[in-house]
Amino acid sequence: MSFVTSVSTGAIRAGTSVMYASLGEVIAQRAGIINLGVEGCMLAGALAGYIVTAETGSPYAGIVAAFVAGGLLATVHAFLVVTRGANQLASGLALMFLGLGLTAFFGRPYVNDQITPLRDYPVPMLSEIPYFGPVLFDHDPLTYAVFPLAGALWWFVFRSRWGVMLRAVGESTESAFAAGLHPARIQYAAVAFGGALAGLGGAQISLAYTATWVENLTNGRGFIAVALVIFAMWNPLRAMAGALLFGGAVALQLQLQARGVGVSPFLLDMTPYLLTIIVLLAWAQRGQDAFPAGLNKVFRGTG
Amino acid sequence: MTIAETVRTRIGAPAFGGPQLLGPFVRFGLAIGAAIAVFSVVLLLDGTNPLDTVQLMWDASVGTEFGRNEVLVKLIPFGLCALAVAVPARVGLINVGGEGQFYIGAWAAAGAILYSGAPGPALIPLALVAGALGGGAWAGIVALLRVKGGVNEAISSLLLNFVAIQFVNYFVYGPWKDPSGPNWPFSAKFPGSAMLPVVWGDRVTLAIVFVAVGLVAMFLVLRYTRIGYEARVVGGNPLAAERSGIPVARYLFLAMVVGGAIAGIAGMAEVTGIQGRLRPGISVNYGYIGFLAAWLGGHRPLGILLAALLFGAISVGGDSLQLGLDLPGSTVNILMALILFAVLAGRKNRTGVGA
Amino acid sequence: MRRILPKRGGWLLLFAAVFATLFAAACGGDDDDTPASTAAGGATTASGAATKPVTIGFLYVGAVDDGGYNQAAYQGQLAVEKLPNVKVIKAENVPESAEAERVMEQMIQQGATIIFPTSFGHLDPAIKVGEKYPNVTFLHQGGLKTSKNVGTYFGASWEANYLAGIAAGKVTKTNKLGYVVAFPISQTLLNINAFELGAKSVNPAVTTTVIFTATWCDPAKIAESVKSLKDQGVDVLNQHQDCPGAGIQAAEKAGMFSVGYHVDDSKLAPNGWLTAATWDWTKLFVDLVNQVRDGTYKVSQVRQSMADGVVKLAPFGKAVPKDVQDLVLATQKKILSGELEIFAGPVKDQGGTEKIKAGAKQPPVTELETMNYLVEGVIGKIPQ
Repeated sequence: MSFVTSVSTGAIRAGTSVMYASLGEVIAQRAGIINLGVEGCMLAGALAGYIVTAETGSPYAGIVAAFVAGGLLATVHAFLVVTRGANQLASGLALMFLGLGLTAFFGRPYVNDQITPLRDYPVPMLSEIPYFGPVLFDHDPLTYAVFPLAGALWWFVFRSRWGVMLRAVGESTESAFAAGLHPARIQYAAVAFGGALAGLGGAQISLAYTATWVENLTNGRGFIAVALVIFAMWNPLRAMAGALLFGGAVALQLQLQARGVGVSPFLLDMTPYLLTIIVLLAWAQRGQDAFPAGLNKVFRGTG
Repeated sequence: MTIAETVRTRIGAPAFGGPQLLGPFVRFGLAIGAAIAVFSVVLLLDGTNPLDTVQLMWDASVGTEFGRNEVLVKLIPFGLCALAVAVPARVGLINVGGEGQFYIGAWAAAGAILYSGAPGPALIPLALVAGALGGGAWAGIVALLRVKGGVNEAISSLLLNFVAIQFVNYFVYGPWKDPSGPNWPFSAKFPGSAMLPVVWGDRVTLAIVFVAVGLVAMFLVLRYTRIGYEARVVGGNPLAAERSGIPVARYLFLAMVVGGAIAGIAGMAEVTGIQGRLRPGISVNYGYIGFLAAWLGGHRPLGILLAALLFGAISVGGDSLQLGLDLPGSTVNILMALILFAVLAGRKNRTGVGA
Repeated sequence: MRRILPKRGGWLLLFAAVFATLFAAACGGDDDDTPASTAAGGATTASGAATKPVTIGFLYVGAVDDGGYNQAAYQGQLAVEKLPNVKVIKAENVPESAEAERVMEQMIQQGATIIFPTSFGHLDPAIKVGEKYPNVTFLHQGGLKTSKNVGTYFGASWEANYLAGIAAGKVTKTNKLGYVVAFPISQTLLNINAFELGAKSVNPAVTTTVIFTATWCDPAKIAESVKSLKDQGVDVLNQHQDCPGAGIQAAEKAGMFSVGYHVDDSKLAPNGWLTAATWDWTKLFVDLVNQVRDGTYKVSQVRQSMADGVVKLAPFGKAVPKDVQDLVLATQKKILSGELEIFAGPVKDQGGTEKIKAGAKQPPVTELETMNYLVEGVIGKIPQ
């Protein structure tokens, strides 16, 4: 395979899990709730998916379980910040620790277990196309699904009536309430949905990509997802691009090494974060249009 | 809203007293009780007796002199990292970057010790200054982005954590790798004269004094100085502060840099007090736990002290669960999160944002 | 407005009350629980003390069920637990920092007189704690220095990797082997070099491509590394990671051969499994414990090899033809008898410089364990 083909394919493989998580976080933050505990939701999804797959033999049952588990864990966050008005950043960090602890605790019997993985389904004919074929049409179902999902979420946020409601809540719960909406319900739904997608992201790692469960399987990808949401300025399609960029950075350093080119993994691993900061700076210069105003409260509270 | 009103609503009246003290106590008891109840269910699912667990954690953390000393050892990184969050918080800035500032402080201290060529007695002061400058400069990036670039500090400080960790990795795997070592990612060992002296027990170093000084200084500055007063005004209502002639941007910048410097000192204290060299993974989430401690302590000196002690006790007691009950090492994360949740849920906050 | 404030005051009071009481009690001088008193009691000096009850502590840097490094050491712990009159306590996920010192002290308070710190970074903390408790014996895994009561042990896993290299060099169709490695430290470099030397001994055209992942256990990154190697035509995978399972599965999926590490993972790769360098610490741990108990242990750097049974070659998979199996086993005999030295000169690095001169014997193990180069035939750079 050519270098470009290899890196592009790798970018999609490595970027998919983060893409799910950041798409979910886009929705949550569009409702004015930031969830720093995405990492915990990803782990919950990864483990729940793995356990259910191991017990039932069906990775599809595992996907459902991952969706539910990620959503349930995020609902804890929603309860704390929406119903109890708790500090969002603190609650999110606590959620991360909870996910880490719970999955390590309940995941022990499943380390070294073996599951029927969610396998790749090359699309007949299309996967044979030179260059593009293997890049786009030789993946697992979760990877295929994430791209249409990004498009659908973009339509949902910017073109649908529901999206208007979501964004209205994210701008100001008071005005949304005055307009006859139920801000709390919408925020609950958005946060839970965000966690559920993070759960799918985790499942993509545990069921398809690696077919493995180990403690801390996601290795910080949840934090990358949060960073990407901001990089994407709360736009699902940009989040998709950001996740591919992250996946590309990972794939690039490995593909270069496989070709005997020495790269410092440390410097390459910095790039997604530095890029995000640069994008933030560029956007800030143009005025923070895309910033859900509701989030300002979080960032202007005293912590 | 007048400035005075702002200050009062923002900072609050006296930390102690108030007519309804009993309510919070009941609430606190319920919160901790609920956390332990849920934790007990988790333990029972694993076939472990929750009563043994609580007893054991108590014994290991505050029930013995050794345990209490170890809590003090933990107080150093937790307390300093919490202060690093609390100082910017007083002017309304959110510093989620303690972790990164900690690493850069440790890096700068290590660099000063290993490569400055300074004589032995000068090493500790030099490392202290370097650590503070390193952490301060790292936070200074955040402050500049905020003040000049309009970039939100919570986000940029969080992002820079990951950069800092890779930055330190780059040095310990590359240019600073111990030339006489077995190719492991360690810097050379510091000379003995660069190590902080132990002042209490076996492992409580001089850095405990840094914590004390930091807490007292914060209290005094906030309460008795003009700077403290103006900082609170800035934190309460930047617009009003601007109107009354307070240099808001300067306060924002300084508070962030001072916070970063404190986290940098925490990093310095870790490498010169505990590790004796720079290596990867020197922080065990200290920056994030410090953030939670600062929040739990209401960004006030006494609150921070107590919250840092609480987290210290949990983390010291947590190990006993493994040793005494053969529970997985990660169990303590569950308890820590549950206690935080209980406190978060128990503290009804009208604004939905938190304080 | 912010009605929470008085409540927070209540919080503070409660914390203050609790901690003030406790710390006051601390200063009050209740000496009954001084840690040192418990520690000194269990010293084993006289011979014939093997029946005296003893408590032994094990520290792991990761989870004991990681399917790799820590799990291998944990198997050794389980063997020690079966000894008469032995109580074992363990702690996992112990960071290589102040936590390690504290955990060791907590173990000593619980009566531990023998402690196994099993991660490289636990060495400095062990030496520090050891100074305070001279009657406790520390047996550190992989360390390169000792102190009065801190000895080390390790095994030559590279011997088994040399043999795995022979199998790999024989079965590869592309003459390209791959090695996914966490970090460029001496122990990993030794394994890579031995693997390439073994492969080259039977197939001069063979190369080994190395990828450093910069993490001990990130299954997703390992899987992606395997795919990157596959793209380059690599058809045999070897690994030095704490959790090799994901890589083995990825290799199997990609139709590659795989060599395992730490533990026998053959069930993960029914088709492509070749063999693995595995640890068997059981005998060494039991021997060390017995020596300490009967007073015959002398602090030293114990280095065992395949001949001692610490390092084993896992059973071959069906992908290894019979004649190759015989060749590997014959070579194993030569290593066991000392007839064959893997790192006997000449050994050239990637630049062609002779690192071990022609005709020179294999350097002592402790010197090998400071290796900082890759040999000729290895593709990849040590990140600087």
